[in-house]
Amino acid sequence: MTSPERRDQAAVSFEHVSFRWPAGPRPALEDITFDVRPGERLGVLGPNGGGKSTLLKLMLGLISPDSGRVRVCGLAPRDACAAGYVGYLPQRIEAELRFPVSALGAVTMPLLLRAKGGRAGARAARQQARSALELVGAGELADRPVGSLSGGQLQRVMIARAAAGHPRVLLLDEPMVGVDVVGQERFAGMIARLHERLGLTIITVSHDLRAVAAGSDRIACLNRTLHAHTSPGGLTPQVLAEVFRHDVAGIFGDIHIDAHKASDCADPSHGPAPGAGAAGALSDALRPYVYPGSPGGNQGPRERPGTTTEA
Amino acid sequence: MRTLEYLTNPSLGPFVRPALVGAVGASLMCGLLSPLVVLKRMSFIGQGVSHAAFGGVGLAFAIGVTGVVPLDASAGAAARADLALMALVLAYCAVTALGMARLGRRGEAEADTAIGIVLVGSMALGSVAVALAAARASRLGLPPPPSIDSVLFGSFTTVSWAGAVGTWVGLALIIGVLFALRRPMLFWAFDEPVAVASGVRAGLMRHVLHILLALAIVLTMRLAGVILATALLVLPGAAALRLSRSLPRVIAISLGLGLLGVLGGLVASIEFDLPPGACIVFVEMAILSVATLASHTRARSAP
Repeated sequence: MTSPERRDQAAVSFEHVSFRWPAGPRPALEDITFDVRPGERLGVLGPNGGGKSTLLKLMLGLISPDSGRVRVCGLAPRDACAAGYVGYLPQRIEAELRFPVSALGAVTMPLLLRAKGGRAGARAARQQARSALELVGAGELADRPVGSLSGGQLQRVMIARAAAGHPRVLLLDEPMVGVDVVGQERFAGMIARLHERLGLTIITVSHDLRAVAAGSDRIACLNRTLHAHTSPGGLTPQVLAEVFRHDVAGIFGDIHIDAHKASDCADPSHGPAPGAGAAGALSDALRPYVYPGSPGGNQGPRERPGTTTEA
Repeated sequence: MRTLEYLTNPSLGPFVRPALVGAVGASLMCGLLSPLVVLKRMSFIGQGVSHAAFGGVGLAFAIGVTGVVPLDASAGAAARADLALMALVLAYCAVTALGMARLGRRGEAEADTAIGIVLVGSMALGSVAVALAAARASRLGLPPPPSIDSVLFGSFTTVSWAGAVGTWVGLALIIGVLFALRRPMLFWAFDEPVAVASGVRAGLMRHVLHILLALAIVLTMRLAGVILATALLVLPGAAALRLSRSLPRVIAISLGLGLLGVLGGLVASIEFDLPPGACIVFVEMAILSVATLASHTRARSAP
């Protein structure tokens, strides 16, 4: 249990939160308790169906817990969102790209919701949006219509929009899905810059170890319950194995779980996928973008821990 | 030009003039909403609401509110009858639109089904009720209610001064609501999930837009007919979005094209003695074709 003072200080706090979707056979989340300190970068790692999206929806106030309490910056999530404390980068960009708006206009939209003072307020909002675009290196895109941007450019604009209002908490949903290695590095650089400049609390949710390990101070593992809550350095093969064990057991049979297996389990829906992880390489894996989980090398016989050097 | 003759003709002028005044208001109303309808993919909802309007008209006829008064009735009585009909239909449409939104909350497939059901249900209800109302009127010796044809495809002679003024009041209302809600509304129209995460109430935006849509359709219906009223909500915006990528310009173009289509359609309808709704749709479609060609040509010539 956290003391009240500490809870009020937390950027995000979950207290014994449970949630079950109406059609769900079992709760999506059970008795989740954790705090995220202001300025902390938390990675939430878990398999598909492990409750990651549910966790995000609770933080955004799109759903309410069946029991327990969620607080964002000490407020109910909806109020925190309405106050502009939360920046959100969804997994897929669902923006209507036919919308006749420039990149600058798109970044200004959330700022205008809270802009006061008529024309002067709107002008200040545009100025703030422009500096957000510059912060992510997209200043030269400001006047381009959103429909004419490439995927990578659009992602930068969306990050600028999420950060433009100087939120206290930035939520990133599967940020690395469908992004190539160069894009991932650039993305991590941008997020690091935002964290440094704005002192943001950043919560990254993913099934992909690479995405959450990159620049997280702590990693929480989520599979219906919160299984581990540790710093990347402390994310041992044993911890990962614990997190994914029961889901994995059903898919792979009762196997000996080693580091290699544990990193596989990051996405059990892909079957016995990236088989290249090795116990010795796991600490490497937790450095940004050198995780050896590239496709291929996963069809052959399972290598023993410590034998691969694909990274 | 027959149009000019009609306007100046002492016996026809009283019918044509309010129709033209109403048409201008209706075209601006629809032109303003049209880009939002296109961007939020609401044209099928628009169809649902306009067909619901037919059900509403039928129900109103069935309880004796036909908007038609004897020829010797006072102007005030005519206006009251007209407004009573519009108020009833608007209420019916608003309830139906909110109902469709509620049924559609579970997702796109559910919304699609809900609209489809409301659409046919209202058509069935409307056609039965209009037929019953016509039979009742002839039995009781009352003035006959407007024909199904004129309700479905629009007619000049059913637009009164009350209806024409109502269109402008509706236009003012729509401008006011959209201006007051412009920031959350545009954010929501651009990117609903992120807008919601920023505190925009998506349900409120959707309901407001549905009600404005119902208002625009009811006020356009006399002129263009319930079947064709949605054309005015879809075509100008679709053309404008092809022609510009700046929001103020898109809105201006949409308003202009709506007006052009309606006036062009009305003139054609008078000149060739055709139903106005169909003529408006043809003119709007011709405009859309030109806009599409223009945007393709421009895309090709761009570096």
